[in-house]
Amino acid sequence: MSAKQVHEVVIEANNTLEILERVLRVIRHRGFRVSCMNAVQMNDCNNIKITVTVSSERGIDLLYKQLDKLFDVSKLSVRHITTI
Amino acid sequence: MKATEFIVNALRKQGVNQVFGYPGGAIMPLYDALYDGGVAHLLARHEQGAIMAALGYARAGARVGVCIATSGPGATNLVTGLAEAMADSIPVVAFTGQVPSALIGVDTFQEVDILGMTLSCTKHSFLVEDQNDLDRIIAEAFTIATTGRPGPVLIDIPKDIQLAEMASETVSELPALPPLDGLVDEEVAAARALLHAAKKPVLYVGGGVGMANAVPELRELAAALDIPMVSTLKGIGSADPEHPYYLGMLGMHGLKAANLAVQESDLLIAVGARFDDRVTGKLDEFAPHAKVIHLDIDACEHNKLRVANVAISTDLKLILPALKMSLDIAPWRLHTLEMKVATAFRYDHPGIAIYAPLLLKQLSARLPEDHLVACDVGQHQMWTAQHMTFTQPENLLSSAGFGTMGFGLPAAVGAALARPDAVPVVITGDGSIMMNIQELATINRAKLPVKIVLIDNQRLGMVRQWQTLFFDGRLSQTILDDNPDFVALAAACGIPGETVVVKEQVQPAMDRMLASDGAYFLHVQISEQENVWPLVPPGVNNGEMLEQYDEC
Repeated sequence: MSAKQVHEVVIEANNTLEILERVLRVIRHRGFRVSCMNAVQMNDCNNIKITVTVSSERGIDLLYKQLDKLFDVSKLSVRHITTI
Repeated sequence: MKATEFIVNALRKQGVNQVFGYPGGAIMPLYDALYDGGVAHLLARHEQGAIMAALGYARAGARVGVCIATSGPGATNLVTGLAEAMADSIPVVAFTGQVPSALIGVDTFQEVDILGMTLSCTKHSFLVEDQNDLDRIIAEAFTIATTGRPGPVLIDIPKDIQLAEMASETVSELPALPPLDGLVDEEVAAARALLHAAKKPVLYVGGGVGMANAVPELRELAAALDIPMVSTLKGIGSADPEHPYYLGMLGMHGLKAANLAVQESDLLIAVGARFDDRVTGKLDEFAPHAKVIHLDIDACEHNKLRVANVAISTDLKLILPALKMSLDIAPWRLHTLEMKVATAFRYDHPGIAIYAPLLLKQLSARLPEDHLVACDVGQHQMWTAQHMTFTQPENLLSSAGFGTMGFGLPAAVGAALARPDAVPVVITGDGSIMMNIQELATINRAKLPVKIVLIDNQRLGMVRQWQTLFFDGRLSQTILDDNPDFVALAAACGIPGETVVVKEQVQPAMDRMLASDGAYFLHVQISEQENVWPLVPPGVNNGEMLEQYDEC
């Protein structure tokens, strides 16, 4: 089994009622596991910042592009944390 | 103005003059607005039929399909169609009624969380919380459905919101779209360098070509390169079928020459295609010697299954002309042509029983130029892809990525409305047609001239074939020898028809079917032992296809 990579993904998105479900669904379905998550409504209440730590044997690029494709996601960044 | 009147006005502003659906409690206000709203509505006999019709309308007519259903079971009956649209990238906007806002979440009659349920099978979705958001939401829904890689969008509207008064009656103009990324010189140069160096290149054509409206650009590129081409199921009709180096469909039931050419190739140019498992077979042995240029509007497809040497995400209409050049590949052209000739299908089937591939080849030759074929899923679908000829991708509607039995009949309903001058044909099987058989009544109600060709082997044929080949012939739940009398069933829905059982009956029956003004039901009985060949078995590469020809 190949090593798992751990990444921190920071997402800024429209603060719709279902935004957490949308993001978490994509993370799960595309083969990533969440180990830590924080979601904070931004100052204008219309946007939300989600910081999530994910791990997978799959390349983070696959997840990045799927999250980037979500209509509500406006800003996205990824940082490699560690290899396990 | 009530919100529902606004919705109908907004639809008209979007250019929608035909919708598909089925009424019910929570969507009654919208149906009241449709009563005299100036938008035609086709009543299907099941919500799944309605959304499949909307998909057929979208695919055949190159426009957005719109369907409408009520809450709860009406909404859940749309789910298969939404998933179908997601898999095959079909632009559709679905409106569902929802229970009143105050009753959401208290397990109301016919309540279901359809937004939550469809997160995975829509490109985007909306639950309308304020009627004054409808202007923005409808504009966004149509934009999302049609731009980039097309797909399904759901708008769920609580009943109280439908009945609410709008603050403004004005439907906004569609927002201007940001321009697509242009060509990147370095990427184009890298792709051209790979092409220039290739000795055995193959153009691998997918459904994205037709959806990008890039068939002319593809054909001009193919003519300039004079290059061997293969097609996915959804790509059929994009490449010119008369091109000497067009080798046909590749993949699990692909043509032998197409699969062998790809396996031998040193460069694959994937155009609007996504390396689907039914195309690649054993992925790590697919085109093992080939470098890859991957052209697709959806960057998510790049490097997902096959790493590309050059990946370009832009409008195919821009990138295809930029790749024109002259290639020095004469020996490769000759080799692929020899393979194409040597492995061509044979139609000299012995005996009097009807041979479905021959029948489909004959039917293809007899259809007028303006026709469309809607398929179901199974053996007949693969025979259609193998043995019929299509000159435009919108002429073959097939559930490719999702493989939805029951797609064909309602898809033809929608397609017939989108293209009233085309002859609409359904090729279906005795398993598939029963999955949306109720739409025979829709065809009769709408007086649509749909020609239905049912290839009946009294089996769930594709599963039966696999049971015969890979499950020791244990025919578990695939024998359908107690099928209904299909011709009588069609007649009960006002559709004339006939049954043919031997070869010599086929041409006269086709005469009657094609000469009929209205719908027609041609019931074709074939041997239950017929198989689809070639077949790439599971776990091997596409060069190791089975080719056992039928003994029946």
